[in-house]
Amino acid sequence: MSLRVDVDANELLRPRERKRRRRRPGAIAFDVLILVIGLLMAAPLIWLFAASATEPGEAFTLPPKWLPTPFSTENYSRVLELMPFGRMALNSLIVAVISVGGSLLVAVLAAYAFSRLAFTGRNQVLVVLLSALMVPAQLTIIPVFVLMRNLNLVDTLTSLWLPALINVFAIFFLRQYFNSIPRELDEAARIDGAGHLWILFRMLVPLSGPALSALAILGFQASWNNYFGPLIFISSPEKMTLPLGLVTLQSGQGGAPAAVVFAAIAMVVAPVLVLFLAFQRNFVASVATAGLRG
Amino acid sequence: MTTGLAAPAGVGAAAPPRRRAKRRQTLAGWAFLSPALVLFLLFVAGPFAFAIFLSVHSWDLLTPREYVGLANFRQLFSDPLLPKALLNTFLFALASVVTHVFGALLLALAVNRPMNRFVSYFTRSAVFFPYLLSWAAVALLWKYVLDPTFGLVAYYLDKIGIDAPNWFVDPSWSLAAIIGIDFWYTIGFTFVIMLAGLQTVPSELVEAARTDGANRWQVFWHVTVPMMSPVLFFAVIITFIGAFQIFDPIQIITGGGPDDATMTIVMFLYQTGFQAFQIGYASAIAILVFVVIMAVTGLQFLVARKWVYER
Repeated sequence: MSLRVDVDANELLRPRERKRRRRRPGAIAFDVLILVIGLLMAAPLIWLFAASATEPGEAFTLPPKWLPTPFSTENYSRVLELMPFGRMALNSLIVAVISVGGSLLVAVLAAYAFSRLAFTGRNQVLVVLLSALMVPAQLTIIPVFVLMRNLNLVDTLTSLWLPALINVFAIFFLRQYFNSIPRELDEAARIDGAGHLWILFRMLVPLSGPALSALAILGFQASWNNYFGPLIFISSPEKMTLPLGLVTLQSGQGGAPAAVVFAAIAMVVAPVLVLFLAFQRNFVASVATAGLRG
Repeated sequence: MTTGLAAPAGVGAAAPPRRRAKRRQTLAGWAFLSPALVLFLLFVAGPFAFAIFLSVHSWDLLTPREYVGLANFRQLFSDPLLPKALLNTFLFALASVVTHVFGALLLALAVNRPMNRFVSYFTRSAVFFPYLLSWAAVALLWKYVLDPTFGLVAYYLDKIGIDAPNWFVDPSWSLAAIIGIDFWYTIGFTFVIMLAGLQTVPSELVEAARTDGANRWQVFWHVTVPMMSPVLFFAVIITFIGAFQIFDPIQIITGGGPDDATMTIVMFLYQTGFQAFQIGYASAIAILVFVVIMAVTGLQFLVARKWVYER
């Protein structure tokens, strides 16, 4: 099942410029209400950044801190002492890059077969592949765990990215996208002597930028935020990705002080916030057009 | 879903070369598909079949497997934890669908009109942003936000004269707390889907209805909602399927407690399979999860025939 909405992603978060006109007091009161909703949504994050940058002893005094006074970076340096933050961030990055790159390569090849090559059994195979969208991850996780155990891959990064290489949604989404690209283009290329790989990687892939970038953003986000997989497969801290590392910091071996955990959460949230502010429309567009998780 | 398969390319040439061309295309087709097929067999189809096989066995990963027939399923249906887990999961899923769909629709309508640009931009971003984070960060953050001694919520509720419950100790509040946290985390997704849906409502239709004397409320019910019904249906299905598999915040914050008040079906599966290592029993639970999701989704599709507007 998929939903394609042709939307102008630029407008989803940044409303278009409208003519200024005199506004009724009711409308202004309504604007204030909307602003309050936004502030309520943002409040936990503002508190997170303020409290984590406050001196450890003062971080959680009441009333709650909305500004980091007295300012201190001690909580942040404690995070680096208590958990291998850099190593975990690198693990997250390695797993996400391989998952996204590999799954898109596999998907692009399969989508080409489904969109451009005629062969017996094609439609049947597509239907069988699509049935995977109905299978929840919890159903396959136990057998996959047994498989990884037999392959001696438990507690390795490979166990995290290998199962992520098959992304049936990406295959279907790209097939739909390829189908929308005129076939006359490949026929012209074929007459000029181009082979399948040339047509796929020199023509269709460059023409599928929006679809590929939407899939890449969604895939990266899913991998970067994945908690279930690492929880099942990983046990050593130096193999952990950030989400599992965060939870382990809080719960493992007596648990770190709350202010240190706060600093660690802030260190995980801050880069996402920066990326969001920089590439906002790409995030929103990927959610709106390919808005289907997994 | 599979409509619009294009006519095979290359059909229509002369006979003998055509057969050869066809054989070459078949070869190329399977070659291009092979990585996907191998991975599919290894990580989807194989595990699916193996899960069914495991569900009729008793196994702890260490001692040899033992065939037990349907004993795991019999044990499951008489397990007192199952009704609790199912009830909690359905309650959570229902609350999640209702709050997400209505909340997101109201929010989308509220910001989808002429208003102060900064306010509009700020609120849209603040609503969407949490969706980009991980459950690990969100669950830990909210554990502190809801802390009864130094948390934000307790402090400000106290200011307006409300005694905040001890969310994760009091069994009657812990599931509600998880529902609230999940709302904060994922409302941004539903919100963007609704905003996109609102863009698909033709403004000529709204204007025509207004000229014919319909008030805002009538326009909403008789134009906006029917035109958006495919989007609403999509939001219901996606929210339900996601909510039914809720696990991360439960594992991180409550571990299923207190007193099993937040025990959901996937948490039950996790404890059985990966903490008690009852692999066969856990596979039976996994199959139940699959069957329930299929059944409820099928039901929703049947109901949808009655009210979803097909373009």
